[in-house]
Amino acid sequence: MRRTMLVGAVAALIAVGTSGCHANSTSAGPGQHKVKSGGELDVLSPAPTINLDPAKSQNLATSTIHLVLRSLTTWQESATEAPKVVPDLATDTGQVSDGGKRWTYTLKPGLKYADGSPILAADIKYGVERSFAAQLSGGLAYHKSLLVGGDKYSGPFDGKQLDSIQTPDDRTIVFQLNKSSGDWPWIASMPAFAPVPQKDENIQHYGDHPMASGPYQVSSLKQGSTLVLSRNPHWDRSTDPVRTAQPDSIVYTMGLDPTVINQRLIADQGKDRNAVSSANVPAALLPKVQGNPSVAQRLATSPSGALSYLAINVTHAPLNNVRVRQALEYAVNKKAVQVAAGGAKIGGELASTLITPGIPGYQSYNKYPADPTGDVAKAKSLLGQAGHASGVSLTLLTQNDSINLAEAQAVQSGLTAAGINVRLKPEDSDSFYADTGASKGNYDLALLSWLPDYPSATGNIAPLFDSSQIGNGNYNSSHYSNPAVDKLIAQASAETDPAKAQALWAQADQTIMADAPVVPLLYARNAFLRGSGVANFFAPPYPPYADLLVVGLAG
Amino acid sequence: MTGYLLRRLAGVLVVMLLVTAVAYLVFFLLPSDPARLSCGKPCTPDRLAQVRALLGYNHSVPVQYLQYLRGIVLGRDYGAGAATLHCAAPCFGYSFPQGRPVTSLIAERFPVTLSIAAGAALLWLVSGVLAGLVCALYRDSWLDRLLTVGALGGVSAPTFLVGLMGILVFGFRFNVLPVNGYIALTDDPAQWAFHLILPWCTLAFVFAAVYTRLTRTQVLEVLGEDYIAVARAKGLSRRRVFVRHALRAGLTPVLTLFALDLGGLLGGAVITEKVFGMQGLGALLIDAVASSDLPVVVGCTVFAGLLIVLANLAVDLLHGYLDPRVTS
Repeated sequence: MRRTMLVGAVAALIAVGTSGCHANSTSAGPGQHKVKSGGELDVLSPAPTINLDPAKSQNLATSTIHLVLRSLTTWQESATEAPKVVPDLATDTGQVSDGGKRWTYTLKPGLKYADGSPILAADIKYGVERSFAAQLSGGLAYHKSLLVGGDKYSGPFDGKQLDSIQTPDDRTIVFQLNKSSGDWPWIASMPAFAPVPQKDENIQHYGDHPMASGPYQVSSLKQGSTLVLSRNPHWDRSTDPVRTAQPDSIVYTMGLDPTVINQRLIADQGKDRNAVSSANVPAALLPKVQGNPSVAQRLATSPSGALSYLAINVTHAPLNNVRVRQALEYAVNKKAVQVAAGGAKIGGELASTLITPGIPGYQSYNKYPADPTGDVAKAKSLLGQAGHASGVSLTLLTQNDSINLAEAQAVQSGLTAAGINVRLKPEDSDSFYADTGASKGNYDLALLSWLPDYPSATGNIAPLFDSSQIGNGNYNSSHYSNPAVDKLIAQASAETDPAKAQALWAQADQTIMADAPVVPLLYARNAFLRGSGVANFFAPPYPPYADLLVVGLAG
Repeated sequence: MTGYLLRRLAGVLVVMLLVTAVAYLVFFLLPSDPARLSCGKPCTPDRLAQVRALLGYNHSVPVQYLQYLRGIVLGRDYGAGAATLHCAAPCFGYSFPQGRPVTSLIAERFPVTLSIAAGAALLWLVSGVLAGLVCALYRDSWLDRLLTVGALGGVSAPTFLVGLMGILVFGFRFNVLPVNGYIALTDDPAQWAFHLILPWCTLAFVFAAVYTRLTRTQVLEVLGEDYIAVARAKGLSRRRVFVRHALRAGLTPVLTLFALDLGGLLGGAVITEKVFGMQGLGALLIDAVASSDLPVVVGCTVFAGLLIVLANLAVDLLHGYLDPRVTS
């Protein structure tokens, strides 16, 4: 750590899809110097382990795993706009037929693994198949219930194949779905769609050294300690629309204390100049960062991010009355919540929609326009209309860490002014998620946060508001059940024309908000520091993490 | 002595059985479902049932516990056919998210904790006992008072505060010591020691305080005994009396405490490891708790329990050696 080496790896943060400094000047982040080729980038991470087995990974397309593995498609990112799905190993984002149920991909010619062997369509099929094995479960599973026969399939290790994935030749792969899915191009960007060569693999250890299809390969992995990535000589830059792969090597260090990581980057000494953080700046260090201009300009803040919201349990009286819920929409003092989260610049902008900025199809609207501090008069009037002029008493379930508690208290004090008495119920995160995912909700309100797994409005709406997602550990914590909305969700999910789908999701957003099952609070932001020797480092609006695919050293 | 040893070993076995039973209860008392952690996202009831069956969580509580015990002795396999997950004996559990047996995780992390604990233990023992002896020999002098106050500071200061202060002062402000990270002894002995200086000093400062006070008290007590007066009266030199007679009796309780402290610390110096970014057993346990990786939690608890039990055994044997009255 103390040796001065030319370190240039910014591995921890997330790779961004856009190419480096030269092309995209919309990335107006501070300190955007030209990215030079070469050097070692250091990524400092608080995560205790890193998982590189594509079947078990839940990582985003801009994460470290996608420095080593490429999927059929990937995400093109920018500092200010919503991402686009672009082809990665495939020639396009998928040819759709059979009413949205059949997706055909052709691989680009001449693709090779790190050992020089060709990447075949059958390898993608095998990669998807092995994600069904119980021994390798734990990863993103959006494809599992969409592929025909997926519900019954349990992996290729007992010799069975999944017939709904066909590979008529070495470069063509066809997916047969059991219903139309407009999101399939996004789903094909997930780690499970990375090619895995069909050899006798030691499945317990494949993740230690996965076969590299991306610009880097695993040089050494000491789990819990360090991951060293070196160049993959057979990665062809001309086939990759998104990764810039400028550093020669990337060193990802795990298990570090988040405060110490940020202190190191503030100090910006020696090797740390070529390092980036994948740990958010802790609240206690914010004054130090913002008060020092040379440090503040090395801070990358995402313009948007997860939706912080208040889930209202619609099955609990008096919350089963829509007027009472609408009263809550007006009564909540969102400004106080924003202050508790760290202010607008770090905590996030006030939210009024379910689809978040950064997701294609986001439209700004406010069904319950009010002053940022709330509209107590309107809330009281709605409560009166509902027959609760004397006020109501509610319990608010929250996690017991300091930020969640502070936000919950802000919600509580705002609601008190409108005659809504709130009793806080803080719990540790295990109990909290067990309670909010339970089939019978033992709470009136719950303070939650939600970030979709891929940039489609499906992720903002379906898991939180579809009636099939109530209980069983799922995330419809409002217990909202509306057959008309379920129908709209099904229709939007099936629509393969992106523009039409986005219009349907926007319609769903407004329809649901009219029923007020949640109070959107903030579009939460994340903020990350980089060393002074790093360039092209920014956090897009989605996903709100630094994009590691385009970071490099400053030239 | 042999009978004593055999009796103690039997006791060890019984205690370990109890420890595993209590630790295993974690699976059933905590609200988190370890199968859900490995189910995937989104998780359907079918997939959840599949994972539960693979990990053996679909059996009754006593059956699961017996399978666990069997695994410790004979090893355990999860699944069947080409993709069996092997957990060789002794199998303390299998971490599904990390895809490794808990035993191999412990084996990997133990050298880190051992490095931290052994170095710190040596440092605190030597410094604590020496300080205590100085205090006892020069009691009520300014040196005694100074060291006692220092000991009070060490006893009161929380480990994470001392650690972070050390990092801030020596790491960032004066830039003389590394702020975090662990270098393996086999990779670079010099760097290994260099990176461990701050963790050693942090732990030593906190622990030595107790040893200073205990040594001081014990030695003073022993020096007041009749047989010491007799030995002096017989004409033995002050030094001989002190070293041959007083120390041995005075330090026995200190050694007892040392063995217990070291045994406990070997199970994981959680705060130190987390603050200094070292991947030892303590960090493993805390991360497993945070991510609800229950097999690792149970495995680490059982292992830490084993170390404490063995430390107790060592202490008992040491007592048996130092004080023959105990073994009869």
